[in-house]
Amino acid sequence: MVAQAHTAQQSAALLELKNIQKWFGGVHALRGIDLTLQPGEAYHLLGENGCGKSTVIKIMSGAHPPTSGEIVLDGETFASLTPIQSLAAGIETVYQDLSLLPNLTVAENVALNEQLVNANGRLARLFDRKRLRETAARALAAVSLPTDRAFLNTVVSDLPLASRQLVAIARAIATRAKLVIMDEPTTSLTRREVDNLVRVVERLRSENVAVLFVTHKLDECYRIGGHAVVFRDGQCVAQGPIENYTKKELAELMTGRSIDAQRYRTGEPSGAVLLEVDRLVTDGVREASFSVKRGEILGITGLADSGRNELAMALTGVVPATGGTMTLDNKVISVRTPAGAIEQGIGYVPEDRLAEGLFLDKSIFENEIALIVSRLANSFGIVDRDKGREIAAHLSEEMRLNTKNLDLPAGALSGGNQQRVLIGRWLSIAPRLLVLHGPTVGVDVGSKDTIYRVIQTLAESGMGLILVSDDLPELLQNTDRILVMNSGRIITELEAAQATEDQLYKAMLATTTENVQ
Amino acid sequence: MNASRTDELDSAAGPTRSFNFGDLVRRRPETITLLLLVAICTSVAIANPAFLQPSTLIDIGRASVVMGLFALGVFIILAAGGIDVSFTAIAAFAMYSMTVLVQNYLPNLPIAAVIVMATLGGAALGIVNGLLVHHLKVPSLIVTIGTQYLFRGFLLSFIGTVWIMSLPPQMGAFGRMPLFQIEADNGALITLPFYFLVLPVAAGLTWWILNRTLMGRAIFAVGGNADIASRLGYSLRTVHVFLFGYAGALAGLAGIIHVCANRQANPFDLVGTEINVIAAVVLGGARITGGTGTVLGTILGVLLIVVINSVLVMVGIPSTWQRLVVGSFILLAAAFFVTRQRRK
Repeated sequence: MVAQAHTAQQSAALLELKNIQKWFGGVHALRGIDLTLQPGEAYHLLGENGCGKSTVIKIMSGAHPPTSGEIVLDGETFASLTPIQSLAAGIETVYQDLSLLPNLTVAENVALNEQLVNANGRLARLFDRKRLRETAARALAAVSLPTDRAFLNTVVSDLPLASRQLVAIARAIATRAKLVIMDEPTTSLTRREVDNLVRVVERLRSENVAVLFVTHKLDECYRIGGHAVVFRDGQCVAQGPIENYTKKELAELMTGRSIDAQRYRTGEPSGAVLLEVDRLVTDGVREASFSVKRGEILGITGLADSGRNELAMALTGVVPATGGTMTLDNKVISVRTPAGAIEQGIGYVPEDRLAEGLFLDKSIFENEIALIVSRLANSFGIVDRDKGREIAAHLSEEMRLNTKNLDLPAGALSGGNQQRVLIGRWLSIAPRLLVLHGPTVGVDVGSKDTIYRVIQTLAESGMGLILVSDDLPELLQNTDRILVMNSGRIITELEAAQATEDQLYKAMLATTTENVQ
Repeated sequence: MNASRTDELDSAAGPTRSFNFGDLVRRRPETITLLLLVAICTSVAIANPAFLQPSTLIDIGRASVVMGLFALGVFIILAAGGIDVSFTAIAAFAMYSMTVLVQNYLPNLPIAAVIVMATLGGAALGIVNGLLVHHLKVPSLIVTIGTQYLFRGFLLSFIGTVWIMSLPPQMGAFGRMPLFQIEADNGALITLPFYFLVLPVAAGLTWWILNRTLMGRAIFAVGGNADIASRLGYSLRTVHVFLFGYAGALAGLAGIIHVCANRQANPFDLVGTEINVIAAVVLGGARITGGTGTVLGTILGVLLIVVINSVLVMVGIPSTWQRLVVGSFILLAAAFFVTRQRRK
C-alpha cells in the first residue's frame, strides 16, 4: 500500500486543482482548494454537509465552472471543464442520486455514454447497438451483475435500488476511466454489496485508475484504505493516508469540535405501554407483533427487503396494513392514511426527505408550519402568519438550525438541516408516537449529533419513538430495544445496551430456515 | 372442430397467458391501443359490413395523413418530456403563406419545391420554439401557447384572412395524384392519393431517428430526466432545437398536404385541433410526463381516433357522441396504464 502510494507520487498527476474558488451568489462555497490526484490511488473526501465536497466534484465533472483557479488535467490547464471534456479525459462520476435515466434500459444507461463521448458530444451519429451490448456486458460483469439479454433490456425504473447503484458504477467503468468519483456509493447497499464494491475498487486501482470517494461512512473508508482528504467550510483542513487518523480525529477535523461517539441513550422508558401492535400484516410484513412504551426508543432494522420499510409505512398509514390491530393508549385505532395517522398523534419522518417530506421550493417557515396551518387559521380560513412565524422560530431554535432566516427555501439547506426542519415540523403537533425512517441517511457527523440529541430529548418528554434504520451504530447508540426483521417477520429482539453489531448482522442475514439467536 | 380446439388451447394457456399479458402491456402499452382498435373495427364491421369495403379503409387512410404527421411531431417532443401546442399554427402558417406565395408570385414553382419550402418554413418556426424553450427556460407548454398565438396572429394580420378557394394548379394536381385506384361495386372510382405515402415514410424516418441515432437516444434521455442528461454530456440546446425543428417540419409538411387534399386554403383552419392530436399520442401509450412511447403506438393512437371520428356514424351513432367515446377511451386507457405501472 505505502509502496504503491510512493510510486504513484513519482508519476505525473492525473488531476490537479489549484486555488479553486467558487461563489454561489453571496455564498463562498470553496475558499481556495488545492488538491492533487495521482493515478491508481484511492481518496476519501470527507466533511460535513455543505462543506464544499459536492461542489468540488461538480467542478471536476464539468457540471459547474469554478469562479477562479485552475484545473490541470493531463498536463493541460483549464479555467473550467464541460461535461464532455471531463468525460473525454476519463473522469467518471457516480452521483449520489445515481443519475440513471429511469426510462432507458440497463444497457443504454451503462454504455450509451461511451458512444456519446466518442462522438465528442455530437448527436447526429448512428448508434451502434452491437457495441452498446458488448460494452454494457463487459462493464456489468465487472461489478458482478448479470449480462444476459433480459437484464440488459430491463428498464432501470424496474430495478431494485441496490442493483441501480451497481448499474451506475458499471457506467462509470464502461469507458476507459482514469478517475472514478463516487458520491456516497454505499448509502443504499447492503453489506454483501459493499464487499463487492470494495473488490471493484481494488480492481480499478490495479488498473491504475484513481478512485475518489465521498462518504459519511468512516468504517468503509478504513476498509478501502488510501488517502483521506478532509474539508471544512470550503477549505481543505487535512490530507494524508487514512490510517494515520483515528475515527475520532477525522470526526473532529470535519466538525471542528469534539464529537462523543458514545451511547446517546441515557433515559429510561416509563412503565406505561403506548403502542401495542398485534399480528400486523401488510404487503411484505407477516404478522408483526410488538409494543412501544412511553418515552421508549424502539429500533427496527433488517435488510432492504426484510419488510422494515413496509412496517414503517403501515404504522403511519402511508401504505395501510391489511390485517392485525394497533392499540394506542389502550384504544384500538385504524390508520388508513397519513392524515389519519396524524389525527391519532402518529408522526412519520420518511426516509426520502426530498421526495416525500419537504416542500423544497417553499421556505423553512412554510415547511415548519405545514401540519398546523389549519390550527393557525381563523374561522375565515385566514392563516395567522405572525403566530406561525413565532412557532417556526421556536422550532428552529429547538432543532438548532444553522440559519435564522426562516424565509430561505428548504432546498437551499444542507441535508442535515433539511432533516432538522422535517423533524421540527412534527414537533409542532407534539405527536404521541414518532416514526423516524433513516433519519440520518446522507447526513454529516455534526448534524447526526444534533439529531440524536433531539431524539433523546423527545423520548425524555414521554414521546414514543420508533427508529427504522440500517445504520447499526445509530441504533445501538440511541435505542432501548432493537427488533430485527428478516423476510417479513420480526425474528429477534435485542437489548440495545448489550447488543453488538455482529449479533444484529447475523440476524439480518440469517436465512429464514436457520434458527436465530 | 376448429373452434373447440382454440377453446381448449385458451383454457390450457389461461393463467400464464394472462400473466404475460400484464407484463406485455406494461412494456408495450400500445397493445391496449391495438386491442381497442381491433375491438372497435370488429364491432363496427359486425354492425355494418359496409365498413370493410375498400372505400372506407381508404377514407381512413386518407384522413390519417395530416393527423399522423402532427402526431409524430407531438410524440417526439413528448418523448423528450416537452409538449407542443403550436404545431397547428405552424401548419396553418406554412400552408397559407405558401399558397399565397405560389398564387401571387411564383405560379410556376414545381410542387416538389412547394413541399420542400413549406417543410423548411415549418422547421424554421419550430426552431424558434426550440430556442425559446431552451434559452427562456420556460416550460414548453407555455412557450408554445405563446408562439401559437404569435404565429397565428402574424399570419392573419400580415399575410391574409381571405379563404382561397381555387388553388394553384400544381397543388391541386398533387392532391389528386393517385397512388392506386379501385373501382367500387357501384362503379365509382375510389382513389388512394399519392400523398398517403408521406405518412409511412415520415413514420419510418421518425422511428429510425429515435431508435438508430444518438439523437434519438438523447431525446429519450432528456425525456427521462433533463438535468441528468445534461450532466452526462448531452447538449440540451441541440436536442431542443432539433426536436422542435423536426416537429415544425412535420407540421409544415402536414399543412401543405392539408391544403392540397382539401383543394382550398383557409387561414383559420387547423388551429383548435391540437387536443385531438395530443389525445391520439397519449392513447398510443406515450406518457404525458415524457420519456416513453413508440412510433407504432402513436400511429395506432391516430388510427384509433380517426376510426372513432369517421366510422361511428356508420353504425348509427350520432357524431356528437364521438367526443364521449374518445374521452372515455382516454380515461380508460390512462387508468389501465397507471394500474399496470403500480402493479410491477
